[in-house]
Amino acid sequence: MARFIERHPAWALIVIIAVAVLAWLVFAIWPPGLEAAIGRKRVFLNAVLNGITLGGLYFLVASGFTLIFGLMRNVNLAHGSLYLFGGYIGYAISTWTGSWILSFIVAFVAVALVGVILQLAVFRRMEGQDLRQTMVTIGLSIVFADLMLWVFGGDFYQVQTPSWLIGPVQLPLLTAIKSSGEPVYLQYPLVRLVIFAASVVIGIAMWLALNRTRIGMIVRAGVDDRDILAATGVRIQLVFVLVFALGAGLAGIAGVVGGTFQSLSPGEDTRFLLASLVVVIVGGMGSIPGAALGAVIIGLAEQLGSVYIPTYAIVVTFLIMVLVLALRPQGLLARR
Amino acid sequence: MSLLQSTQFRPDPSANATRRALLRAWPELQNPAAWLVALILVIMPLIANGFFLIEIFATTLILGVIALSLMFLAGYGGMVSLMQLTIAGFAGYMVAVFGMSGNANISLGWPWWLATPMALALATLFGTLGGALAVRTEGIYTIMITLAIGAAFYYFTNQNWAIFNGHTGINTVATPHFWGVDWRSDIAFYYVTLGVAAICYFAVQYVSRAPFGLALQGVRDNPRRMAALGFNPNAHRIAAYAFAAFIAALGGVLQVWNYRQISPGSVSVGACIDVLIIAVVGGITRPIGPFIGALIFVLLRTFALDVLIKLGLDGNRFRLLIGLGFLAIVFWSSDGVIGLWERWRRRSASSTQRSGGGRHG
Amino acid sequence: MTRLFGALAALTDVTITVRPGERRAVLGSNGAGKTTLFNCITGDFPPSSGTIRFFGEDITQFPPYERIRRGLRRTYQISALFPGLTVQDNVYLACRGVSRGRFSFLRPGQNDALMHATETLVQAVHLAGVKDQRVAELAHGQQRQLEIALALAGAPRFILFDEPAAGLSPTERRELIEILTSLPAHMGYIIIEHDMDVALRVVESVTMMHNGRIFKEGLPREIESDPEVQELYLGGGHE
Repeated sequence: MARFIERHPAWALIVIIAVAVLAWLVFAIWPPGLEAAIGRKRVFLNAVLNGITLGGLYFLVASGFTLIFGLMRNVNLAHGSLYLFGGYIGYAISTWTGSWILSFIVAFVAVALVGVILQLAVFRRMEGQDLRQTMVTIGLSIVFADLMLWVFGGDFYQVQTPSWLIGPVQLPLLTAIKSSGEPVYLQYPLVRLVIFAASVVIGIAMWLALNRTRIGMIVRAGVDDRDILAATGVRIQLVFVLVFALGAGLAGIAGVVGGTFQSLSPGEDTRFLLASLVVVIVGGMGSIPGAALGAVIIGLAEQLGSVYIPTYAIVVTFLIMVLVLALRPQGLLARR
Repeated sequence: MSLLQSTQFRPDPSANATRRALLRAWPELQNPAAWLVALILVIMPLIANGFFLIEIFATTLILGVIALSLMFLAGYGGMVSLMQLTIAGFAGYMVAVFGMSGNANISLGWPWWLATPMALALATLFGTLGGALAVRTEGIYTIMITLAIGAAFYYFTNQNWAIFNGHTGINTVATPHFWGVDWRSDIAFYYVTLGVAAICYFAVQYVSRAPFGLALQGVRDNPRRMAALGFNPNAHRIAAYAFAAFIAALGGVLQVWNYRQISPGSVSVGACIDVLIIAVVGGITRPIGPFIGALIFVLLRTFALDVLIKLGLDGNRFRLLIGLGFLAIVFWSSDGVIGLWERWRRRSASSTQRSGGGRHG
Repeated sequence: MTRLFGALAALTDVTITVRPGERRAVLGSNGAGKTTLFNCITGDFPPSSGTIRFFGEDITQFPPYERIRRGLRRTYQISALFPGLTVQDNVYLACRGVSRGRFSFLRPGQNDALMHATETLVQAVHLAGVKDQRVAELAHGQQRQLEIALALAGAPRFILFDEPAAGLSPTERRELIEILTSLPAHMGYIIIEHDMDVALRVVESVTMMHNGRIFKEGLPREIESDPEVQELYLGGGHE
């Protein structure tokens, strides 16, 4: 952090000002002039929170994508399919057993298994041929999409939120002061907050696992330099399978989360594949903290964009990607 | 400079040498199969009815042109761009926006001879800018960035009503009408697409042996060495994107004239990936590949339904078939069906040799 | 006007100054920083500090291709050719790279001046017999010859040869020496070479490098007879 400020004082200043403005917008009571200009504070706060929680979801999808890419140089364009598959599994389990928690576990295991099978049966045979691997993932995404359309049809599904998570919760964030002087606090759906907290926990757990465990060290070494990894005599195939399973499983969990937040239907796979791509390009390929930063930026951009400039929302997301590619093509938090 | 001028190279002035040079430049000229295919394509309107002419052959040629632009980038430049259909779609949208259509509130109503060059220029610019972005990183990242560009454009056309008319798109796009010919009538339109496809095909073939194309192949093989020979690799890559974007834009203009409408569905991510499938299935090392791939793709898309139902299967599983076929090609051949065909020919040639040798021995 | 060629690379304060037309060998064990020095000079990897001057012009901030267009050339230790293209196309690209029309969409005609230059170069490095073969099909020695041809294209003023004799047979080495000694007198070069027989016969001065530093500079026979050099470099080779 200190080194970043030292090296790029101008950028650091811009970031600090942006964060300060955002903090002021979130915590202060808006003067009437501002409300007249850009609308109610409640709308803004909702958009910010939606953006951050959506960022949590994007992080779950993109972290698996970036991990697989970082270690194996495999651009898994079937990642969106794994997401949607996890969502459908979660939906099936939760309607069958009624247990929301169980649906996460089953979705994780089932999609991780698909990942293991893919790595063992397909990608291991074409190691080092990244273009061919990517072609295969494209083919797989088409096959998966059609199989899922076959089984689940074109309907919209939503995973049932458990009763103990239904309903809004009052946050200590002022949205306005009534004329009677009574403060009005923001109401926000509890389930989104819980899921966001869970994705933060998962993110920290992944960071700890990568930085504090032996297998994490191996994976990080592999991300930095694959040849070194091969030379150390580590059972590299096992590491590959584990990482692929973890990355796919995370996509599966994200599918259940997305099914609860939003809905599941054909086409969502593409949407989340795009989100992963942009998040990873912005944050930095192969970097978990990069995925977290990118996910929050993209989530916020998408939600704020859709509130304030609805017909150009996607352009904001896209411009962020263009800006990053122009200024720092390797991504914000990539090491190289 | 004694070394560099030690021997004087004298070109052989005889007609024979000119002929040989011509054949080396255009190997198609001495291939009887190529002449046959060209002849069939030219007299096609005598053989095929309107449905085949437009739904099969014109559509194949249009998709082939768009996939050809990808083949140029991937085969000669080593850059697998998934945004070629997006560029084509952008050109199509621009034809609809600047020209005449049923959506009078959006279309500016320019005549076709003004709207079309405008669309081509804007789409080429779009592709060049996208390329300039994609060459910021190398190798496999290209796929990710170009796919992101394509997907972003798709969602943008869905969201934006002012220019792209949201998810309904722009309908009843006017097609050219001059010299007393309706150029969208079946036979005339077939010849238009055939002409454009032929020009694009020979242009790519020609450029591949011109300094620009050779340099591009050099950049593909070894960008660092190209820089050490005095070339600017990224400038060549961006120029390649511009050239490919122009070809894709031509395909896009033909496509919007063909369907007379354009909507986000025409530029969906699935459609972008279809172009990659067409190029890869056909083979991305030679310009003929994309057209072969397009023919296979169009035939499958048109007839898979009937065939599947006849076999007692679910007719809606066309995309499953495409996906599995694509996987099979990627698994077994590095050069699409052309590669498979050549391998089969070589094997049968060597087996006849072997059996011939066996008799002698 | 100083017509000096110098490099101050970040290896560890390496300063090499070469007169125009001078021929010098850079010797040293593996990892002494010789190839890194070349990479800094051509801009393949920029130095972290210091300046590179080429015929008096500061080219430190130039991208590689700008340096090449000013008359600098190099060859690579591991042949860096275009395996998918023919020999003739490889040489043609090298000629085209330092002339105008790099983006030309027009194929060269039979009377194109660059085609003549290509033809001449191909013959000069004894590859006329295989000029229509793809480089991937060439023998190792032929690839090394082609590597040199690429560096001779255009009008080079100064060339960096990175182990041109690596993996060559004795006959091919003799041919190499012949090519190097027959270069026009105004073309200076630096050659990295492990084979002393080749290196010391084609240069007029020698720089010894060790661990990224300049260790010794002198005339070929001084270096050859220097006891320290013998111990450090030549001696190690015999064991």
